[in-house]
Amino acid sequence: MTDWPAREAAPVSDDTRLVEAARGGDRGAYGRLYDRHARMVHGILLARVPPGEVDDLVQDVFLQALPRLGSLRDAARFGAWLAAIARNRANDYYRRSRPTTELTESLPAAQIEDRAASSAEMAQAAAILAAIRELPDAYRETLILRLVEGMTGPEIAARTGLTPGSVRVNLHRGMQQLREKLGALSAKVATP
Amino acid sequence: MNDNYLWDGSGEPDPEIQRLENALGRFRHNRPAPDFRVLAQATLTFPAPRRVRISFFAAFAGLAAAALLVVGVENYENSLRRTSITQPGWNVSTTEGAPRIGAKMIGINGEMASLEAGETLETDDASRATISDNATGEVDVDLDTRLRAVQSPSGTKHLALDRGTIHAQIWAPAGSFVVDTPSAVAVDLGCVYTLHVDDSGNGLLRTSFGWVGFKLDGHESFIPTGAACATHPNSGPGTPYFEDAPANLREALAQFDSASATPAQKSAALGIVLAAARKRDALTLWHLLSRADPSDRSRVYDRLAALVPAPAGVTREGILLLDRTMLDSWWNQLGLGDVRLWRNWERDWPDSQRAAK
Repeated sequence: MTDWPAREAAPVSDDTRLVEAARGGDRGAYGRLYDRHARMVHGILLARVPPGEVDDLVQDVFLQALPRLGSLRDAARFGAWLAAIARNRANDYYRRSRPTTELTESLPAAQIEDRAASSAEMAQAAAILAAIRELPDAYRETLILRLVEGMTGPEIAARTGLTPGSVRVNLHRGMQQLREKLGALSAKVATP
Repeated sequence: MNDNYLWDGSGEPDPEIQRLENALGRFRHNRPAPDFRVLAQATLTFPAPRRVRISFFAAFAGLAAAALLVVGVENYENSLRRTSITQPGWNVSTTEGAPRIGAKMIGINGEMASLEAGETLETDDASRATISDNATGEVDVDLDTRLRAVQSPSGTKHLALDRGTIHAQIWAPAGSFVVDTPSAVAVDLGCVYTLHVDDSGNGLLRTSFGWVGFKLDGHESFIPTGAACATHPNSGPGTPYFEDAPANLREALAQFDSASATPAQKSAALGIVLAAARKRDALTLWHLLSRADPSDRSRVYDRLAALVPAPAGVTREGILLLDRTMLDSWWNQLGLGDVRLWRNWERDWPDSQRAAK
């Protein structure tokens, strides 16, 4: 029987302290909340909107959340609350658009700043990201948080409000499906 | 695939996952926090949901002329209440034979079907199906099963299992997936589980992953990974137990939970459970605190405290009075999951089965 790692106690209490400080007008505290949660927001958005739009939308999410801190009933659930705002922001992005942008568009190399890589490596990375973005919502979001943003499973659970069990299922099954997709992709490329 | 490495980066690094991490790391977030003091001053609220883009460079340069137009309060509050579950129905695929939705057989020509609120999916002794929803999860419907999709005003995904067996794998946020049975309501808290209901309405839930909350008329049961819980129409959720618990403990527990047991029989069965309990069976003992007769409660307290000492702030007197805060604190001490997950999502789950009677 697997013993799940206990949730981190410190991050929850840190969030509560920072949220309370931010509510009191401490923008520096809000900046620290950004440092703690920006990867999660970035990953959630990267799972849904064109990669070139993500950085600006991360800022949008935090700016939308700031004046709404007073409506957050449980400061300890800041992460889950922020995750919901990020997903809604992604939905809003398509509703307001901008003509249809394919979710699986490949990332124009020119939009990548300071990323020293060959075109072939970039193309491969873009193909992998596109494959992940074709997976069901829960799988792609969790996989992006793990594989792109470098968050661990317990960290993903603690930040997003999902249970460790759900996160683990999402990672495991998401990886299975990703392997099948990437295998099929390789077969296509290999076949003349 | 090294599951531990995928989970938390521990153990032997998985080469395949490392390759993916190396390739995808270029997309990782790497922007420092903007100066929120400047941006907050530049933020204005207008009724029309227009957006003006602010570049990070402008923010760092402190250009007060930049402004972000935010969606109006009412629209924003509504958007916060929206969950990722927006579609009302389930996709249905046939895995064996020809299940029915209402009077109509499905999957005969390989077509997909949908199960909408108010409709019933029924399998016989030669058919099975899988229902799925992108934002919620998948439910395998076994042979001889009758499953209804229930309209839920709260926006959760709500099913009713009248009889048969389902295997659920749920990835939706906790509290978003609910299954009625004739004797209890199962609330998913993020997990994989099997639920069976027989023709008499007796049920058995077994959690393979994560945990499930079972609730009826104020009685609650929390069923973590590797545990099971029976339910009965006359008495609701039983007492959860780990499936690897000693056989005499499980037999005595069934006797304790039986609606026909006399007080003396319950007390005797309780004695067997307490004597046979391992540290791991603290799960069962915690639930017995609220189920045991008040005259037996101190015996349960003593045995549970011997296995898992009560945390600071939890007193014997408080537990004997079933102080909920203390009970929740002791639950968290068991290391089986944070009870706040249940309390945060707790509500009066509408019981479709009993409402229909």
